[in-house]
Amino acid sequence: MMQSSPLNARRAIIWIGRLVLAGIFIYAGYAKLTMGMHPRPPMGVALSFFALQVDSYQILPTLGVNFVAHTLPFAEIILGLLLLLGVGLRIWATLVTVIMLGFFAAVVRSYALGLQINCGCFATPEPLTINTVFRDGALVALALLMTIFAFLEARKPHPWSAPEKVST
Amino acid sequence: MNRRRILAGIISAGLLGLGALFLPSFHKTPEPASPSLQPLAPSPSETVNSRAESEPPVIPAPVVVAKAASRPPAPQSPAGLPDIDPHKAFGSKNAPVIMEVFSDYQCPACKTLFTTTNRRLMDDYVTSGKVYLIHRDFPLPMHAHSRVAARYARAAAQLGKVEPVEQALFQNQEKWEQSGDVDGTVAAVLSAAEMNRVRALVKGGTLDASIDKDYALGQTYRVNQTPTTVFHSKGQTYPYPGVMTYDILKQFLDQLLSQK
Repeated sequence: MMQSSPLNARRAIIWIGRLVLAGIFIYAGYAKLTMGMHPRPPMGVALSFFALQVDSYQILPTLGVNFVAHTLPFAEIILGLLLLLGVGLRIWATLVTVIMLGFFAAVVRSYALGLQINCGCFATPEPLTINTVFRDGALVALALLMTIFAFLEARKPHPWSAPEKVST
Repeated sequence: MNRRRILAGIISAGLLGLGALFLPSFHKTPEPASPSLQPLAPSPSETVNSRAESEPPVIPAPVVVAKAASRPPAPQSPAGLPDIDPHKAFGSKNAPVIMEVFSDYQCPACKTLFTTTNRRLMDDYVTSGKVYLIHRDFPLPMHAHSRVAARYARAAAQLGKVEPVEQALFQNQEKWEQSGDVDGTVAAVLSAAEMNRVRALVKGGTLDASIDKDYALGQTYRVNQTPTTVFHSKGQTYPYPGVMTYDILKQFLDQLLSQK
């Protein structure tokens, strides 16, 4: 059986993707819940403030805005932790990629329409500019690569598991 | 196998956690208003016809980069907010939530906020004493006539006529933006005697100081676009740039009001 190296470009990208995206997701979720404030505002205040930012994209009706605002911060934290743990990576990487594509589409649309809005990505006020578009584009590319490589690598025996199997 | 991967994941999480401690927003405290306030009086609320609900969606607001400005010291007040023109503030000064709206009469998004959200806000929260609404001038330098409009509005405010004048300025924004005829727009909603007084105040040149104070205050909040609304509640400050849909704003205000 072919022994795959524990260090190759695909695995490196998967690791980078996991670390970077997990860090960003966890931080983004945490920042939305705390609004970067000390002392932390009540969660209801933080979530309803985030709803204002979701609404500013002018994509969703009120119900959709509320659903996104009240679930996204928690989903970001949970997905970030799951990416870090690496268990069921293909599932969570796919989900993260889908979410990132959604963010990217919303950002590109808003930029194309010329909406001068706040990104709402993190706690700090951040106008949505071309830099936001590039940043999100880069993260989408990373998420896509991570997901594709995670599927490809899953077809091979894991480099750490192979020796164990042989020795037992 | 999985134990090693889980261990690696936990170590990574720990490293990220350590890294997160260095992120600036973990240490950021809410921006306090640079403070000083004059005695306030609830402003008479006149009826403003609401064009409201059928207004088209948000139109982009221009952005301006905030510059450092010298801020004249202003007298302190118990409420902690500086330089409030009582004629441009609405509701009870003891309201649990204070909203400062930094606005530019020539900005399309400010018009949208004024015509779609403010009327309902006034009816549901301001007149009932839940919200104290302060209008702040933030004329963007890129708008040729916005400072002139701000002067006229301030002058009208001193006569207790701010609401009809603001309404006229916002609803006819496209016209005077093209023609520069702010005077004619304001004259259409005031009597000849009132208009003469307004013109005298505008020519007097004393209104710019108040406008500049509002602008400087906006810079302390890092306002870089209009409209920007700064909410104050329970000692915390929540700046929000952009237009707000009334239903979503209502939820936020209800959350602020329900804080104990």
